[in-house]
Amino acid sequence: MNGPARTTDTTPPLDRETIGAFGPHLAYAKDGRLDTGIEPDKYVKTHCCFCGQQCGMQLKVKDNVVIGVEPWYEFPFNKGMMCPKGIKRYLQQAHPDRLLHAYAKDAGATGGFRAMAYDAAIRQTAEAIDRIQSTHGNDAFAVLSGASLTTEKTYVMGKFAHMCLRTAHIDYNGRLCMVSAAAGNKKAFGIDRAANPWEDILGAGVILVSGANIAECAPITTNYVWQAREQGAKVIVVDPRITPIARTCDLFLPVKPGRDTALFNGILHLMIEHDWIDHAFLEQHTVGFEAVAASVREWTPQRTAEVTGIAVKSIQQAAEWWGTAETSFLCHARGLEHHSNGVKNVMSAINIVLASGRIGRPNCGYATITGQGNGQGGREHGQKCDQLPGGRDLANPEHREYVAGVWGMDPAALPQPGVDAYEIIRKIDTGEIKGLLSLCFNPVVSLPDSHFVRQALEKLDFYVVIDFFLSESARYAHIVLPGSLHEEDEGTVTQTEGRVVRINKAVECPGEARPDWQIIQDIAKALGREQGLTFESPREMFEELRVASKGGIADYSGISYERIEEHYGVFWPCPSDVPDGVPLPGPQGTVRLFEPGSWNPVARGAGPFYFPDGKARLNVTPYVGPAEDVDEEFPIILTTGRVVSQFLSGNQTRRIGPLVDHCPEPRIEMHPRLAARLGIADGDWATAESRRGHCTLRASVVTTIRPDTVFIPYHWPGRKSANQLTIAAQDPISKIPEYKVCAVRVRKADAPPEYAAALEPQQ
Amino acid sequence: MPVPDALEFFIDPGRCIGCQACIQACTECDTHKGQSMIQLDYVDRAHSTQTVPVVCLHCDSPTCAEVCPADAIKRTEDGIVQTARKPRCIACNNCVLACPFGVPKMQTKMNLMMKCDMCYDRTSVGLKPWCASACPSQALAFGTREEMARLRPHAKPVNTFQFGRQTIRTKVNIMVPRDAPTDIVDVTASMHEPTIGREILDDVFMERPDGGDA
Amino acid sequence: MPEAALREPSRSSTRRQVIAPVAWGAGATLVLSVLILVGSRNLAHFDAALVGYTFSVLFATFGLTYRYAMWLQRPPTAMYWRRGWQAFLRPGWRRRNAGMWFRRVAEDVVANRFIFARNRLRGLTHMLIMWGCLIAVAITFPLVFGWLHFRPVPGDLSLYEAVAFGFPAFRFPHDSAIAFFLFHGLVWASFLVIAGVMLAVRRRMRDEGAAAVQRFAEDFMPLILLFAVSLTGLMLTASYTWMGGYAYTFIAILHAITVIGTFLWLPFGKFFHIFQRPAQLGVGFYKDAGRAQALAHCRRCGHAFSSRMHIEDLIEVEHQLGFTYEIPGDDGHYQWICPRCRRASLAMAQGALWRGRRGGTPLPDTRPLPMPVHVNPGLRQGPLGVEDADNFYP
Repeated sequence: MNGPARTTDTTPPLDRETIGAFGPHLAYAKDGRLDTGIEPDKYVKTHCCFCGQQCGMQLKVKDNVVIGVEPWYEFPFNKGMMCPKGIKRYLQQAHPDRLLHAYAKDAGATGGFRAMAYDAAIRQTAEAIDRIQSTHGNDAFAVLSGASLTTEKTYVMGKFAHMCLRTAHIDYNGRLCMVSAAAGNKKAFGIDRAANPWEDILGAGVILVSGANIAECAPITTNYVWQAREQGAKVIVVDPRITPIARTCDLFLPVKPGRDTALFNGILHLMIEHDWIDHAFLEQHTVGFEAVAASVREWTPQRTAEVTGIAVKSIQQAAEWWGTAETSFLCHARGLEHHSNGVKNVMSAINIVLASGRIGRPNCGYATITGQGNGQGGREHGQKCDQLPGGRDLANPEHREYVAGVWGMDPAALPQPGVDAYEIIRKIDTGEIKGLLSLCFNPVVSLPDSHFVRQALEKLDFYVVIDFFLSESARYAHIVLPGSLHEEDEGTVTQTEGRVVRINKAVECPGEARPDWQIIQDIAKALGREQGLTFESPREMFEELRVASKGGIADYSGISYERIEEHYGVFWPCPSDVPDGVPLPGPQGTVRLFEPGSWNPVARGAGPFYFPDGKARLNVTPYVGPAEDVDEEFPIILTTGRVVSQFLSGNQTRRIGPLVDHCPEPRIEMHPRLAARLGIADGDWATAESRRGHCTLRASVVTTIRPDTVFIPYHWPGRKSANQLTIAAQDPISKIPEYKVCAVRVRKADAPPEYAAALEPQQ
Repeated sequence: MPVPDALEFFIDPGRCIGCQACIQACTECDTHKGQSMIQLDYVDRAHSTQTVPVVCLHCDSPTCAEVCPADAIKRTEDGIVQTARKPRCIACNNCVLACPFGVPKMQTKMNLMMKCDMCYDRTSVGLKPWCASACPSQALAFGTREEMARLRPHAKPVNTFQFGRQTIRTKVNIMVPRDAPTDIVDVTASMHEPTIGREILDDVFMERPDGGDA
Repeated sequence: MPEAALREPSRSSTRRQVIAPVAWGAGATLVLSVLILVGSRNLAHFDAALVGYTFSVLFATFGLTYRYAMWLQRPPTAMYWRRGWQAFLRPGWRRRNAGMWFRRVAEDVVANRFIFARNRLRGLTHMLIMWGCLIAVAITFPLVFGWLHFRPVPGDLSLYEAVAFGFPAFRFPHDSAIAFFLFHGLVWASFLVIAGVMLAVRRRMRDEGAAAVQRFAEDFMPLILLFAVSLTGLMLTASYTWMGGYAYTFIAILHAITVIGTFLWLPFGKFFHIFQRPAQLGVGFYKDAGRAQALAHCRRCGHAFSSRMHIEDLIEVEHQLGFTYEIPGDDGHYQWICPRCRRASLAMAQGALWRGRRGGTPLPDTRPLPMPVHVNPGLRQGPLGVEDADNFYP
């Protein structure tokens, strides 16, 4: 890890021509969107496309243009509340950068792409896929999908890869998001879903928020936390930065990035020492406590403090509040999960929940806060590399047989599990994978060590991208197909609580653009392998998904569009039938998991958890530091994250003017003590450099961050991209990349970067 | 139609997370579409993320209206201090400088002061104003007093403010602790207080002199 | 919006405060009467049919002057009136101010630039109505007062002669385009007004924002009056041009009623802004003067936020109005605190009450405290305006 900085720099030179042709340009409300005399044709009840909470909202539509938004007060999760992204999301529709045609790469054309007929583009795509697969084997063509798609689309993507392309290599960008939580949850509970609805936050006595910048990444959850505080809850926040919610929380633990397992081990140590544990619950409902107890014996407060950088007193206080609470809620997000030991972090957090016995009851809960629009639903139905619909395993013969039966194919013809998203990039680099289709994924901006990603994408024989705007990754494509925006299609999404909600179509696709699933089916047809991919509507897909998920853990068989609309969403698991004597879930589905006496298809009545014995697992979580720790050469920790006005790789939000005004460009955030040592003042250009790349941004000098850490938000491309610096180290189980820790050195920049004078901040 | 008496506005700056939902929401209001009337400031960003959201508090006896040389600012009988009358406002800036809460905004190019009118198009038909509808932290909240008492049992709404020797009563409430010793928020008394936040220590084994957590 | 919803700001009304405006009103009315007598050569050129109009104008003159004088007595208005003239007549600045006066009249009054900045369609609406009314007034008032009349040129019946204040002004053939244009001046004016009124009514009928705050007397009444005046005027033309004078007398009476009604309404409703609005010019000179003088520095954050003169004047005005924003100690008066710091102080005061109940502590004290900054850095460039920058730092 201590080698010299790699010098390959693949950032393309400033390409003002492509930006001029395809954006990002800024959209502001004008004309009909500012006219207060227009009566909308309709108000469409739907959900926000910009995070996993899926706030309900109504879109105002006039003449096939979304002209504005109106709160949907009746939707119970957010009751009309919206963050700035939700309020301004309507500006992404009817946007000047919208792709209206298929495009082919053409060095001679303006912006590097030439518009072409849709049918010809589909034909060329199918020919390229066929050529690559017949020459190099089925697995030489890979698919990258996304977790902001509707569940119906993710189902079709899985089916397309596994049944039509028969490639092992399909994965999705949830790999960069919640997979550590998913893996940790499966290991501890046997099921991957928030254990509780957010209502349970309201009644909790202690709320522990770990690695979740709720105020910026899940703003609506703020009201749940503050509402609990109004009723007397104590709020504990674990974060290397004093986020807005940490500012006035009751106890703030400024953890050193990458040391979360140590903190939770330390808290469990104190809980055991003071006997703040629920022995009866552990005895009756869990296995593995003894081994865990033995393993945390060494995590004395002193040692925990040394490793985590948190004062002993604060650790003791946290353990005492958590240990002695009557009711509690623990939630975490990417801060805990984006690590090469992300699954361990999650399991160590679950350990203190299980040791307290406070789960599966009202006001006692645990959840990960999903990040992407369909972060939950997108990871359940077969677009993960090792997965089949219903949360089934691709490696499990019974599961293969069931799904193959639903799909009407030979189970043996189903491919074996493939590799994760980053491994797909590595296989592209080594030449093992020659062709790629990506949808709802912008790997150039979102994957770590982006120089490597670019270098790999350039090696592809054929790359086809389905997108509504020309994303930074689409610029590497040979063919770009015009897909659909969230408001141009319908379907369902499963939000952070596990609630399945309805996305309603507000407008038609413009130009030659069409719903993503139609494009996929058109490709399948052009390949002559359209069997199973002849859906007429999302509803038809959902009906098949219900059957395909039936009997699985993520059982949607009892959910229908009508039931969702009637009850403001339905929580899965929601089986359509259960053995005699077992009650069916209520009209809203299974709102809370692990309730005493509850039935599930794995335990079959043996207990509330999803293992054959019905018991939850406490897993031993030995602390292992981050993959790349600081040293003399790179002495500062870099951690990355989000800002409230931008979403993921910014392909949508960097085109919305009011959101860009809000935070026009990334800044490198550092503590004044560090800044003073480096001779950097607020607003100066500062260069951060890791072994993989460098990045020059303006400094934001604030005391709201640990002095040993700098922070860069990751939504920007090119020279402003934080992922030029981040490390591609991954968790061995979840394969999540370690976005939250790498080693950098920082200096005052010699001069403003070239882009500063040439490009608008959002570009 | 007047704004219903039972529905009131409640501000709790201590809840604010600075997310700007209110600013973006405000630009969707029909009475001033495209313009935000919300004042949302960092108190001292170098040291804290503390933000303060201010909408018009709608004084019973509005200083802005009294100091207006053009009689452009009117308060309707439902207690809403309306934005400046367009034909009258001469953009003298008196209201901007005199408002004790720092609310009005001057649009110099338009020769027009604009201010929050509590989304009169919405509240006058019984809807919540845009900002309080959207606010994810409910630092800006709108509803009945009973609702507030139920949701925030340890807080109470107060609508009397002290500025030096001047007492100002407003339609909009601010949330203070239920057992606070006073029903008056003395603004000038706390005027020179520094921002509220936290510090992170370099050395975790060094206890803070004031006993706060590190 | 409720009709009787207005709460006029409190003001003491002693007898003296009423007597002076009455005197001003009477004086102005008298002056106009004398001018009518002189200008019409002792009513020699006065058209007796127009006597109703003349009296309504005289009444409106009284009402407007009275209202204007009342208005000028309000402390903030009186202060601006005085300071505006002082700034305009400031020694060493007069030449520049005279130049600026023409510029501002051209930009604000003639071109309505600030209204176009609000909205292009509203700018156009106002422009149409304003110029329509101005043309109509420019034609009718001299005729009504007998200041202007036309007569055939003795000896050449094909020519007309315009006579102003009894002096021959110019001649033109009675069948020329000029004659057609001149004699139909009111028709053109009414076209402009009707087009403007249509646009204004359209906005008021369909705009949700306008619908929420508009009131009949304030916002619709003036439009109805203007429309009625224009329409009845056109009907007169139509009657004598095409219909052989059908119902001419009736229409003339109807027209007179609408015009007289409009005059009588002038001092009370929205039309008063025509006379009030020029104060905007004074504000411009006041701001110019402020920019050139010492600045006011916020006593919390130390940043300049206005002119010293403006703050001192406001303190005086607030004192006259009965406000007591005085603060004991160094701060002196709350008016010395900038708007940003006022907002921050509100949060600090609320936060102080929650101390010990919510987390977080006051961070190390510095004096002066840093200036609060708006959270949205794009507000200066984006569509939301540059209002703060334009105003707080003169």
